[in-house]
Amino acid sequence: MRIASLRVLVALAVIALITIGFVTNIGIGTLSSFGWSDISILCPLGALTTMLGAKILVPRALIALVIVVILIVLVGRAFCSWVCPVPLLQKLRAVFRKDSKLTTPDEESTVGTGDTDTTATCRSAASLKTQSTAPPRVAGKAEKASLCHSNGDASNCSSCAQKRGTLDPRHFVLGGSLLSAALFGFPVFCLICPIGLSFAAILLVVRLFSEGDLTWSIVIVLLLLTVEVLIFRKWCSQICPLSAFMSLLAKVNRTFRPAINKATCLETAKGIDCGLCAKACPEDIDPRHPKRSYAPMSECTKCLECAKACPTKALRLPFLPGSRANGAGSDDSGGLGGSGGPNTSEQERAA
Amino acid sequence: MGESERPGITRRSAVVGAGAAAVVLGLGGFRFLPTEPTLRPPGGQATDQVVSACIRCEKCYEICPREVIVPSHIEAGILNMRTPTLDFSGDYCDWCGEANNGDPLCDKVCPTLALRLPEGASAKNTIIGVAELYTTWCLAYKLIGCRFCYDACPYEAMELDGNNRPYVLNDRCNGCGACESVCVSLQSGSIAEGADERAIIVRPLRQDGSVLYRWKPS
Repeated sequence: MRIASLRVLVALAVIALITIGFVTNIGIGTLSSFGWSDISILCPLGALTTMLGAKILVPRALIALVIVVILIVLVGRAFCSWVCPVPLLQKLRAVFRKDSKLTTPDEESTVGTGDTDTTATCRSAASLKTQSTAPPRVAGKAEKASLCHSNGDASNCSSCAQKRGTLDPRHFVLGGSLLSAALFGFPVFCLICPIGLSFAAILLVVRLFSEGDLTWSIVIVLLLLTVEVLIFRKWCSQICPLSAFMSLLAKVNRTFRPAINKATCLETAKGIDCGLCAKACPEDIDPRHPKRSYAPMSECTKCLECAKACPTKALRLPFLPGSRANGAGSDDSGGLGGSGGPNTSEQERAA
Repeated sequence: MGESERPGITRRSAVVGAGAAAVVLGLGGFRFLPTEPTLRPPGGQATDQVVSACIRCEKCYEICPREVIVPSHIEAGILNMRTPTLDFSGDYCDWCGEANNGDPLCDKVCPTLALRLPEGASAKNTIIGVAELYTTWCLAYKLIGCRFCYDACPYEAMELDGNNRPYVLNDRCNGCGACESVCVSLQSGSIAEGADERAIIVRPLRQDGSVLYRWKPS
């Protein structure tokens, strides 16, 4: 199964489970407090802002916060690509797009997985490349080089030294949310959180049909969701304070990070300027050259697109760095390998 | 990890971020909009507490065995939207007497203490609201002999007058909604003209403890 479809299925399953909760009395809750009966994992931002807002320490919220922090340290931003309903809703953007001329399944999958639609053409080059190894490799490489460079895809171009800053608007929103909750005494961001609003929309529609509960809330909720998800294209990477919270904690994440087997990686083994893993990354991380990467490794959502894109299956996301038997280095060795890599690639480019 | 070469923050990010943070701070201003008093599940009687602590997780609606907890809507104020309120059109709040031996499940599942019963709180001494009977719409006041609400009241907070017409004893009513849930004034043919709700409705309390009546001057 394709990894993108698997992610969609997982996110849909979460939505289905929560919808079942709405029509039964099990008390599954929503992603704001997910669990069974009185045992639940809280949204970390919700837990923090409710305590700041109500000015009380809530034992259950504190425990949930600790659990969430541990989870983030273990799996980084995996929530973003596997569980969160927002990327799923962002796929609807493709529906509203005028030029829906290129609707091969490959293109569709790239829409919405991240904020970079420029990778679409590169991805099709990648799929060409993965089909067989020997002859198309050269063709794939040439294609990639021409397409991606003409796309002005600065993120993967080492000569354009633009890098994502350590702080970005998300962190301001995170700070603003916490400050606002403390100042005004209620969890302010909850009012507009698209994750909460997604499930509110489901609940309101369920109630509209089951109870005839007609309210302007439905219009407001759907309108807010539309604005946030469809108009703010970069919500996840630029605005979402939860994403900010997770990326801050993910700086200490060492598990499930992309690790490259230097023996099979095309770049280290054969000196080919491959870069398909970097092209595949919806967060604009370059797993091969973390040092040159546009985005830091803490942005990794463990979506597995890089592993899927690797033509020689040299890239994996092992539980522990270096724990896999394939002689893989951690991302650090990837970085060291990168110091050899750029040389070869620059030589090639010069040639 | 090369983090050192990373720019701290680009100017563009700073501007966008400051703007976005200002919007989130501005949203806090909704606090100062007037908020209608609304019925709250047991433990949510301090209005401020619900608004301050509720993260709109929707868990209490789900767990309520009688399905009387429903989301408030925008009509009740922006701050109240998606916080829990009570709808007695189908059933009433028995403090989970049947489902959980009188220990309200909504309080049990609330992860943020937005619903929190004070020490010694019981179904009898916790006032959710007070029932208001509107005689113009009430079938009994047309001398039809209806007394569903009187029969349903679990707290003996209703009495019958000389003509067998029920009335509410305000100081005994705790707003459980049993009377409202059985009122047939809207179902059995709309006898009263212009009736848009049942003849007996539980009204919420204001912050100062007075009842927000619709008909009675208070």
